[in-house]
Amino acid sequence: MPQGLAIRRSSASLWGGKTGLRKLPVVAKYIDTTTCIGCKACEVACQEWNDLKVVPTQQTGSYQTMPSLTADYWNLIKFSEREDKDGGFLWLMRKDQCMHCEEPGCLAACPAPGAIVQYENGIVDVDPTCCIGCGYCISGCPFDIPRFDAGTAKMSKCTLCVDRVEVGQGPACVKACPTGCLQFGTKDDMVAIGQARVEQLKANGLSQATLYDPPGVGGTGVVTVLGHGDHPEWYGLPRDPHVPWGVKLWKQVLRPLGMLAIFGSVLGAFGHFMTRGPTEPGEDAERGDA
Amino acid sequence: MATPDLVFDRARVAEDTLVGEVIIRHRLSTRVIHWAVALFFFVSLVSGAPIWTPVFGWMASLLGGLNVCRVIHPWAGLLFFAGSVLMFVRWRGDMRIEPGDRQWLGLKSVRYMDHKEADVAVGKYNGGQKLFFYAAALGALGLLVSGIVLWLPMRFPQLVRWVGILLHDATFILFAIAVVFHIYLAVFAEPRTLRAMTRGTVTKGWARLHHPGWYREVVEEPRERG
Repeated sequence: MPQGLAIRRSSASLWGGKTGLRKLPVVAKYIDTTTCIGCKACEVACQEWNDLKVVPTQQTGSYQTMPSLTADYWNLIKFSEREDKDGGFLWLMRKDQCMHCEEPGCLAACPAPGAIVQYENGIVDVDPTCCIGCGYCISGCPFDIPRFDAGTAKMSKCTLCVDRVEVGQGPACVKACPTGCLQFGTKDDMVAIGQARVEQLKANGLSQATLYDPPGVGGTGVVTVLGHGDHPEWYGLPRDPHVPWGVKLWKQVLRPLGMLAIFGSVLGAFGHFMTRGPTEPGEDAERGDA
Repeated sequence: MATPDLVFDRARVAEDTLVGEVIIRHRLSTRVIHWAVALFFFVSLVSGAPIWTPVFGWMASLLGGLNVCRVIHPWAGLLFFAGSVLMFVRWRGDMRIEPGDRQWLGLKSVRYMDHKEADVAVGKYNGGQKLFFYAAALGALGLLVSGIVLWLPMRFPQLVRWVGILLHDATFILFAIAVVFHIYLAVFAEPRTLRAMTRGTVTKGWARLHHPGWYREVVEEPRERG
């Protein structure tokens, strides 16, 4: 975990675990699915930079390298073939990886203090020294990103190349992209570029073009231009992602109530003993042994 | 007069019999099953509670950290379930629900805790104990089923994972409360009860007070018959 970055939020930590040092601008990755050519240079760059194990290609009946992300494959272009409403053919491709949510469901679900952190710059990262590999983050993620690495018994996912960002570099995937459909900068800049691109697409006939930055998770650290924004599911994206209700109900309602109830029952038993006392057996309390 | 050695020898194999001045309530194998289940329950508790909330993070240090807890917890849970099954099978015969027992779901339990309940018909187990027995069996099953989902989250769809988490949590909370009262009643509120589960024997006075129907069966009826 980079030492130079201040932490905004940390899993299972009191008051959110903020370290409160050094304000940083929030960063984001920009993905334009309309200019992506599916060359997979980003996939290779990710494997190379992060020294991930070689994962053999798995035939899926399309150009896609494998069915979904793995613990050793954090960046995957998802290919999908669709029909638009006029019967026209669409060949869509979107780079899938951790979305670095402003409100990360993985972090909310994580029980290990400090195992999932969100830096002041918005990057969401797994600290393997604290991760216990329980997989709760899988249940917390609305994008199906974290993977269990059986070799290390830890969770793993895209770090947004925090080790590069920390020293002023862009993520490896962005560095490798030949079309400029990937860009990296402050969130504000990336949103501005994205909005301008959406206007351009609308003017050119893609009336439903949008910038995918879902408000349900407070926005994401990966903003994605979708040519057919009315169908995010065509790109493998949820329409309205949230921190799951199951996780909220668990952490914010059931757990505090449960703690009250358990401590309350101990107090109740003590109170009963003081006000009602024990039921002693009668006259032949033989030999007085308990 | 029965010597202590004779009592211990008899309590290895016999149950529900008078030996000298004491009554054997639980034979050795029953007690061993009970304490095995209790041990696995507490290992599961100490390894699970720090994963539940950092408030109990200190428990993790007893076992060597949160990573150790994560490894131990599911296996301790499995052993707890296996022990619970054994216990259920062994005790089921004594736990048949009788007409009056259902009232323990309601005010009868409150009257009992208020020391205002004197039921001369109470056999080896009262309605409250039977209720605890079936609730614990159901709880063990709930913890197992939801625990398997939590153990292997990648094998289940998202909705099942959330239900699993909530079920595991809710069942644990209810179980923990039940165990608090179980221990309170056995150790503090009703003196001379714990020995039934350690040495296996209880005094006649204890049996007359808490289980008069069982006392008659064990002490008076054999005498009438014999």
